[in-house]
Amino acid sequence: MEPLSETQVIKDLRQTEDPSAQYYAAWWLGKMRSQHPDTIPLLLRALAALDAAPIDPEQRGVALNAIRALGLLRDKRAEKALLALLHCNDYTVREEVVRTLGAMGSCGAVEGIRALLASGLEGAGAEQPSTPLLNEPCEALLEALGDIGDGSNSNLAVIQPFTEHPRPLIRSAACRALLQLTGLDQWGMELKKLLNHPEPLVRRGALLDLGATGWLAAVPSIRSAAVEPSLKLVALRALAERNDNPNDVLDAMDELL
Amino acid sequence: MTTSALDQALQKLERATSTPELVKATQALCALNDLEAAKPLVKVLGFNNPAVAAVATQGLIQLGPDIVPTLLVSLDARNYGARAWVVKVIAALRDPRGLDLLEHALQADIAPSVRRSATRGLADLELSEDAEHDQLERCFEGLLKAVRDDEWVVRYAAVYGLEQRLYSAAVSTHLAEQGRAALNQLASDAEGVRVVQLRALKALQRLNAG
Repeated sequence: MEPLSETQVIKDLRQTEDPSAQYYAAWWLGKMRSQHPDTIPLLLRALAALDAAPIDPEQRGVALNAIRALGLLRDKRAEKALLALLHCNDYTVREEVVRTLGAMGSCGAVEGIRALLASGLEGAGAEQPSTPLLNEPCEALLEALGDIGDGSNSNLAVIQPFTEHPRPLIRSAACRALLQLTGLDQWGMELKKLLNHPEPLVRRGALLDLGATGWLAAVPSIRSAAVEPSLKLVALRALAERNDNPNDVLDAMDELL
Repeated sequence: MTTSALDQALQKLERATSTPELVKATQALCALNDLEAAKPLVKVLGFNNPAVAAVATQGLIQLGPDIVPTLLVSLDARNYGARAWVVKVIAALRDPRGLDLLEHALQADIAPSVRRSATRGLADLELSEDAEHDQLERCFEGLLKAVRDDEWVVRYAAVYGLEQRLYSAAVSTHLAEQGRAALNQLASDAEGVRVVQLRALKALQRLNAG
């Protein structure tokens, strides 16, 4: 198959007859880090479908891919439209928007994210009846607060209760954020405990969370964790890229190849 | 080692139905440390069960280079999952008889983790005395291909490999120049992944110091 040209992909996203071509185009522009002048305007146009009532399910899919692409492109022009979507009543849209705003390091999103978490374990962190979802996408919200990096007391106070959440992956996200924002070892120790959890999924989550914090003391536990080497390499990459002197991390990576 | 211990372990493996049972039976087979266990362990790699395959892989590596011929002949070329594990074993054993397999895996395998293992193998294979020059050249060519891989982790492994191979006294000037040029490129902004850059810089620093 011929590789797609950027011009063709832009055309695919602009047309409206074939939503599956739009869906793929939105993904492609993010994946390829497109710098085309029409990329951001067209991705933003795709978000408009979320204002329609009822929302067309295919256009919703295109919009979700557009949100993810914006997270990879990290263009400030998208911030305003994304902030408005924090209040969207579609859980998945809120989740993806929060991930994107976190990746962009959007300081403007802090207040909105905090508001979504403020109801704590009984509200945001409670399970929706008869679904596996919580009321809010807590994992994404906690991670975004940590990534944005505003360690104000009001942020720390909102995150802290989630370190006691019944679900280990939510606890992991909360500890990750607190370690990022405070640099206190105690949160790293909590994450290390989760690396020994009986569930492989929890061990993987805690491993990636430790990587994202850049906490160098995590290297020995990452090396010895019962997780596949491919994932350890991903976590160690994150750790190395967040440190000025990553020599020990690179040595650990060499061993895992 | 008595035959009956091997037979017993094989029977246990035969009867195992759940993953924990398979893991246990495979562990028992590995614990025998018997070359005769190599063939059934290769068969276990084809069960498409990662937990069991990981145990069998460790067992095969423990058995050492003597199993390489068995590995190469019992390998079912159509069983994709089993191939991936065999690449890992060959890479870990550093046996030059696996060179063909590693070259092929690097070129043709879809899974990045397999291409990564193959690259690692090309970095660490112990070369045969009578064919050192030819084998070193093939390892270098493979590593230079890995430098252009789409996956960062394969390029990272290529940096590791080029560094190892550039320490060797047997490298021709021509290969050494190509290897250095590749490392320089991966250390520059042309490389989009920071950790690959960092590793290439470290390799160049050490090579220049030595």
